Amino acid sequence: MTGSNTREIKSGGEATGRLRGWRPAVTMAARNLRRNRVRTVLAVLGVSIGVLAVAALGIFGNVLALGAADAIGDIGTQVVVSPNADTGVESLSATDVAGIRRAVDDPAVGDPAVVPLYSDNGIVEGASSQTFATIYGVEEPGLAFESAEGRLPDRHRQGAIIGAGVAEDLGLGAGDTVGIAGSQQRVVAVLAETQTFSPVAPDDAVFLPESAFAADGYAQALVVSESGETAQAAADAIREEVNAREERVDLFELAAIVDEINGFFDLLSTFLLGLGGISLVVAGVSILNVMLMSTVERRQEIGVMRAVGVTRRDVLRVLLAEAGLIGAAGAAVGTALTVVLVAGLVAATPAVDTNLVIDPTNGYYLLLALGFGVGVGIVSGAYPAWKAANERPVEALRS
Amino acid sequence: MTRDTADDEAEWSDAEGDAAVWGDAADDGEGWSDVADDADHLNGNGARDDDAGDDDGVHDRIVRDDYGVALRGVMKRYPSGGGDPVVALNDVDFAVRPGEFVAVVGPSGSGKSTLLNVLGLLDDPTGGRRLLDGTDVTNLSVGERTQARKESIGFVFQDFHLLPTLTAVENVSLPTAFDPGDATDRAADLLSRFGLGDRLDHEPGELSGGQKQRVAIARSLINEPAVLLADEPTGNLDTETGESILAEFERVKEEGVAVIAVTHDSLVEEYADRVIELRDGILKDGIADETDPLEDITSDRNADAALAPGER
Repeated sequence: MTGSNTREIKSGGEATGRLRGWRPAVTMAARNLRRNRVRTVLAVLGVSIGVLAVAALGIFGNVLALGAADAIGDIGTQVVVSPNADTGVESLSATDVAGIRRAVDDPAVGDPAVVPLYSDNGIVEGASSQTFATIYGVEEPGLAFESAEGRLPDRHRQGAIIGAGVAEDLGLGAGDTVGIAGSQQRVVAVLAETQTFSPVAPDDAVFLPESAFAADGYAQALVVSESGETAQAAADAIREEVNAREERVDLFELAAIVDEINGFFDLLSTFLLGLGGISLVVAGVSILNVMLMSTVERRQEIGVMRAVGVTRRDVLRVLLAEAGLIGAAGAAVGTALTVVLVAGLVAATPAVDTNLVIDPTNGYYLLLALGFGVGVGIVSGAYPAWKAANERPVEALRS
Repeated sequence: MTRDTADDEAEWSDAEGDAAVWGDAADDGEGWSDVADDADHLNGNGARDDDAGDDDGVHDRIVRDDYGVALRGVMKRYPSGGGDPVVALNDVDFAVRPGEFVAVVGPSGSGKSTLLNVLGLLDDPTGGRRLLDGTDVTNLSVGERTQARKESIGFVFQDFHLLPTLTAVENVSLPTAFDPGDATDRAADLLSRFGLGDRLDHEPGELSGGQKQRVAIARSLINEPAVLLADEPTGNLDTETGESILAEFERVKEEGVAVIAVTHDSLVEEYADRVIELRDGILKDGIADETDPLEDITSDRNADAALAPGER
């Protein structure tokens, strides 16, 4: 049984020496497990269900969190600065905008883009229909928006940029002509649909050059950050700079809310993992039971092994290998089942975004469950193995 | 293996073997305390008595060292619930030479199994000293005892006690299964010598009682032990098979192994060189009458050639 090990010992060092005893132990363990197949299969089944529960619930939680992050998306990274009507400020002046720019011109807040917007409402006419929409005046649309069709100009000088919702309602595309508040404009770009909630609501808006507006000041300013954290930092900086003497502006920022939402989904994921963990614990108890039964049944055999000179450590190895094999087999089956289950759900539920499911972070839950399965096997097997290995052979043989 | 031994430190033993009692023995020429000086593969374990070096009974000492296994004044008491402890072995003196086949008989409860367990390092005596192959093994750690059992003691049980999941050849090599090196060839050789060359890959379930006991004997010999301990070796066999097993013991004995069989079977007594009776924990004539202890025990231990392959 140890034949092929001999060479390894000679060429290998301490590491091979440590592994040496495991090979015969695993061989013996595998044969012992085959002795009572039904029991072994049931124990493996228990572990695989536990692993399935952990992996599947973990992945579900993760997909939910990923989907939420996707949906919340930009709002966490945007700060909308608007004039504070309570203190009599009707619009943002050039000084205010300069103040905002000054406040965020700091690497510590991620140097976000500041996009001031004029705002009005009006009728937008397409070829055959019309709709009521927000009309914004913007100079640098590329800093805050993305186009689906056409190209966003660096400096918006002429023509109209229309939101995805308006474009759909009116059947418009880039190059078409649109009537905005009575004047005909050429559509230079159509914005990509935003899946996120934003007070600016670009989907239902059209964007004209600033020159189309004769207003005194801006209706609001968008501050576009890279991340939720920098957005919050930017908001704080703006409050400090612009609202230092007088509450001139209101800030609308969702970073804190996004944090809370993310926190909720983290909690949900943990909760789901915990649910899965319970079934894994149950599986562990079943391994414990199987190993205890099997060591009690084989008490004499273990006593014989000890009597003929097999060390306690080697007996322990055999029994741990048995539990570990059950755990590993269960973990492998459970992981495979999870992949099948998740794939089946994705196929059956069109609403689930496949990209979210094949996200690499889900693999982490698979690996986690796999590791847990093997770990549960070994931990549950440890006590019976230790107990059996430490029994005095004279007692074990007597029975 | 040394690492395993070192790690197996926990001590189950409650033995209180008192080396000092025998340490003085050098003066009366018995020289018991001296045997530990030859200890190499086992720890001398504090049993050494430097005074023994003054012993001029060199002649005697050689004789004592030649015992395969010996007990001196061994006591074994078991605690019993509340009352006086049960004395299973009472001041037992017992020694078996290499190449000697000793049968221990006695009624049930006389302490036979205890004697075998103490001899086989499965249990520790509560008093007295124990020697194995010339080494004091009275007080060993769990790991040391395991190691000593593997190296020097072979067990044959009434119920054979083969592992059902292992083939005959794997059962024979079980004691060495976790060691470096492959004992399969030696195991196969041993099985062939016991006439089981065509049963190497059979599992115990496919073997008859006599065959199983032969496998068990082969297993007990895989490490060339000094002592073979048999507990009712013929107890589960019919007379004819029992005789053939006893014939195997004779061959083992001729290889220089000290064979000790605990038995109820009168057949075993016929094959034994000596029959010793154990009654109520007291052993009579445990050490053979030594008119000339040096005779014919010189180099039998190395006489492997005594058994030619296939010879029955």
